[in-house]
Amino acid sequence: MPGIEVPKEKWSGKVREVTLGATAAEGGTRARTVTVGGETTLPFLKFEGEIPHPPAIAIEVRDQPPSDWPALLLQAWDGATQDVAEWAKAAEAAGADLVALRFNASEQLSAPYARQVLRRVLSATGLPLVVFGPGQADWDNEVLVAVAEEGKGERLVLGVCEEKNYRTIVAAALAHGHLVDARAPMDVNLSKQLNILIHDMGLPVERIIMDPTTGALGYGIEYGYSVMERLRIAALQGDSMTQLPMLVTPGEEAWRTKEARAAEGVPAAWGDYVKRAINWEVLTASTLIHSGADIVVLRHPESLRRVRAMINALIG
Amino acid sequence: MYIIGENIHIISPRVKEALAEKNIRFFQELALKQVEAGAHYLDLNIGPQKKAGHEIMPWLVKGIQEVVDVPLVLDTTNLAAIEEGLKVAKHQCIINSTSAEEERLATVPPLAKKYNAKLIALTMGKSGIPVSAEERVNIALEYLIPRAVELGIPMEDLLIDPLVLTVSGCQEYCPECIEAIRLLKLAGDPPPMTNAGLSNVSNAVPNEMRPLINRTYLVMLMAVGLDYVIANPLDQQQNEFIRIITQRDDSTALGRLVLKLYDKTAAGERLTAEDVDMSDPDQVALFKTAQILYNQVIYTDSYLRV
Repeated sequence: MPGIEVPKEKWSGKVREVTLGATAAEGGTRARTVTVGGETTLPFLKFEGEIPHPPAIAIEVRDQPPSDWPALLLQAWDGATQDVAEWAKAAEAAGADLVALRFNASEQLSAPYARQVLRRVLSATGLPLVVFGPGQADWDNEVLVAVAEEGKGERLVLGVCEEKNYRTIVAAALAHGHLVDARAPMDVNLSKQLNILIHDMGLPVERIIMDPTTGALGYGIEYGYSVMERLRIAALQGDSMTQLPMLVTPGEEAWRTKEARAAEGVPAAWGDYVKRAINWEVLTASTLIHSGADIVVLRHPESLRRVRAMINALIG
Repeated sequence: MYIIGENIHIISPRVKEALAEKNIRFFQELALKQVEAGAHYLDLNIGPQKKAGHEIMPWLVKGIQEVVDVPLVLDTTNLAAIEEGLKVAKHQCIINSTSAEEERLATVPPLAKKYNAKLIALTMGKSGIPVSAEERVNIALEYLIPRAVELGIPMEDLLIDPLVLTVSGCQEYCPECIEAIRLLKLAGDPPPMTNAGLSNVSNAVPNEMRPLINRTYLVMLMAVGLDYVIANPLDQQQNEFIRIITQRDDSTALGRLVLKLYDKTAAGERLTAEDVDMSDPDQVALFKTAQILYNQVIYTDSYLRV
């Protein structure tokens, strides 16, 4: 556009670069590593600053097919969800950058079981892993400590690491060369505070990923968006303890919503169920990437394709 | 700047107990202590006291007037209690407070007029407290000042309060409140008086960190022309900051930084790292606190350690 000068913001800060996964040369077994962060501007504003790494997409896989996922989502993986190793392979084949292994809260979940599942996933895929426990602090501790030991040197991301259990998770990450997913409940002050507490234990900042928690489209996404935007602007303004890449789980949030679950019994105006459900995940993830997400954890392969297409189109 | 002593406040369990027991000695001692420490006014926050407020307030006013000779600030939502207090007060009181809500504006300012009291008027309407300084000042310009003018309350008796909110959770409000005071002092000739409840800035902050945040914010509010502050007059370090500013005492390194913060804020500028001797922990603490109050660095309970 001749004659129009695009206004540019001059930021003084930079998001830290964080590398997930380790190759054989680096003490792990991953085929490649993934680096996120490094931005010196807001998402996609390349005319204004550096964006050395595009946002990365993780696909969530479970140790067992989860009973609470809609059939649409399980079918999309064409039987691979029956076996966690197959599922991880399928995620890699679908084009994921990362595999997010999450353990179900089930009776069989124990430390030895978690070790065995981790080994199978590590040998099925060469992608770096994010590993989530079942989401209850005590249980997470038991599972993630075992996972950390079993995956020594792999630079796994251990999650979630929250105020209740961060000491145990950080100690495990320190002992075995991993990263942590530092999750705070949609609050800028608590997010930063948790980063400080984790760093105080001696974990280098380059091994912390911030997880500000989010909501799905129509279910609080505006709060999550504002928190992330605020954290990212603070980072670019030079607030050092917010200069960390952010991970969010739009897949988990989107597939909880009625819009993504209800095939029947909803107004006709809601339109085709399959389209709507996938759109919900895609729009939730795309929105969060625009507020600064460096890693999004998704569930549906079609969402992965579409979010990737958006990233590629905008990153240029 | 006038200091309104805040320590007689129903939120304190000891105050609550003394009120229940009608222990006037307790209040007289607390009043004396505050006045000896430099309070120019004393706030009497008795809570809503829906049943007995009209008896409690005059009892308290009379009891306190026996031992100190300063004007009192009658702080309750119970208008009958305020009126009974006004009837027995020796000096010109301050009513704390009215908001910009219609039903409050209808009843509270006329009482101030009737008894020739000063009036604290909050820049808060039906939809709450706006973030931006301009919107808060607009509430004053559209509702609070016209209502005072209409009743013939002089601007020197109207204390506009743009509402201090905590840095822990409402951080974006902190710099805007400073700007609101600055703008209010330009609103009209003569402009209205301004008032701020200082310790609100550190609500929900760990106790040991509150005084530093309070006194740093006070420097910034004084710099833009704050006229009245509701604060703890027993806070020695806060009093020391006030003294440094009023006497422009640049004999210590910390004093020079306090004056720099004051002068830069007055000029619409911010402290920068170059202003600070980073080897002096007191200066670093002041600088970091200013940065959170500018909303430049995100507040956390550990902000001093980063």
